[in-house]
Amino acid sequence: MEWFETIQSQFERCFIQDDRYMMLVKGLGVTIRVSLLALLLGVVIGFLIALCNLSKSKILRAIGKVYTDVIRGTPSVTQLMIIYFVIFATVHWPKWIIAAIAFGINSGAYVSEIFRAGILSIDKGQTEAGRSLGLSSAQTMMKIVLPQAIKNIFPTLINEFIVLIKETAIVGYVGLMDIQKAGDFIKSATFIAFMPLISTAIIYYVLIKILNIGLGKVEKALRKSDIR
Amino acid sequence: MIKVVGLKKSFGEKKVLNGIDEHISPGEVVAVIGPSGSGKSTFLRCLNRLEEPTDGEIFLDGELINGPKSDINAIRQKMGMVFQQFNLFPHLTVKKNITLAPVTLKIMSQADADKKAMELLERVGLADKAEAYPNSLSGGQKQRVAIARALAMNPEVMLFDEPTSALDPEMVGEVLDVMKELADSGMTMVIVTHEMGFAREVASRVLFIDQGVVMESGTPAEVLLNPQNERTQNFLSKVL
Repeated sequence: MEWFETIQSQFERCFIQDDRYMMLVKGLGVTIRVSLLALLLGVVIGFLIALCNLSKSKILRAIGKVYTDVIRGTPSVTQLMIIYFVIFATVHWPKWIIAAIAFGINSGAYVSEIFRAGILSIDKGQTEAGRSLGLSSAQTMMKIVLPQAIKNIFPTLINEFIVLIKETAIVGYVGLMDIQKAGDFIKSATFIAFMPLISTAIIYYVLIKILNIGLGKVEKALRKSDIR
Repeated sequence: MIKVVGLKKSFGEKKVLNGIDEHISPGEVVAVIGPSGSGKSTFLRCLNRLEEPTDGEIFLDGELINGPKSDINAIRQKMGMVFQQFNLFPHLTVKKNITLAPVTLKIMSQADADKKAMELLERVGLADKAEAYPNSLSGGQKQRVAIARALAMNPEVMLFDEPTSALDPEMVGEVLDVMKELADSGMTMVIVTHEMGFAREVASRVLFIDQGVVMESGTPAEVLLNPQNERTQNFLSKVL
């Protein structure tokens, strides 16, 4: 009974007192916003870098190679801080947008490799069939190769999304209050570690679970043409 | 209609085509035969530049197709191609496979293309498969859809690259029937094939290609029944 009372009082101090639960709610909003924009940017950048890597042009291939090499060779915290404090130092955009750009650039390097493998997995005959009908190479890519490639890489892409969401837990380094930072803040304010940190973990877990279920349904729809 | 002058093609050091001069007239059905590795498929694929010729010139209706200013996408719209491996788009229904190119290229509205697709499917005997996905079809059905897909662009010439070689024997006939019907309708066709019976029956001319050159050319009766070239005789004695 004593144990229960401790939990109860901890809960009150961590979440109810001073409306501290609002920090977690706001933090969740920041995490979601940063993740969604970064995800979008990551897919666009990743696709473009994949096209560079698959291009016939030596210059484009070199750009793609250097990009993936540099981004994958440095920690994301370092990248986030360089982009926030150096590159965007004088730009007065909302913090979360700058953070999302940093994560998007980071994710793009990994997504590009996923796209590259996906595009290469599509039989050359598909491209030839498209081109033989008079479609341009861009039309063939967008209408024939890419839809099939995305279907193949979807599970790997979901994995990358999950990694990305969890990666955003470092935005505290540039002064953004996301879920992680909110949990940490409550811990400092109340001197209670268990309650806020476990709550942080649960919120991340549920967020990713929801994403998994949603994207699982999308994948099922994509697989419609596989029915034999 | 198609004029080929001094066509050469090498893959690195390997010379595949060693100077082919050929003229294909409207309405001709040309069967291209020859041993494997002779360059017959490469010859066909050079005609719509799926392979880039190393040397020589190719003309369609007097228009150079392999010059620096040639609009290859526009030219390919006039040349349908059917592949050995069908190459249907597995993520699209049969009907969408057929309508994709004319709609994307803004040659037809979706409604007109749908109507045309149904006519073509009727013609190849697969109207009931319009909403099916390619993976649910047999090889013969896939190839008939591939023919319909190429025809949807209203091509002037149809190129066939061993269209029956990947089929189970019992499905060869249904594809050849469609091709025969197409030939009878007056379509200009170039067919790389191993089906000697079909070549004899349907082709107006047979080309025998070996070692990257046209060794012999003539009517099916001339080339298949009374070959003059020693290599042709040798090849036919093995396959007939």
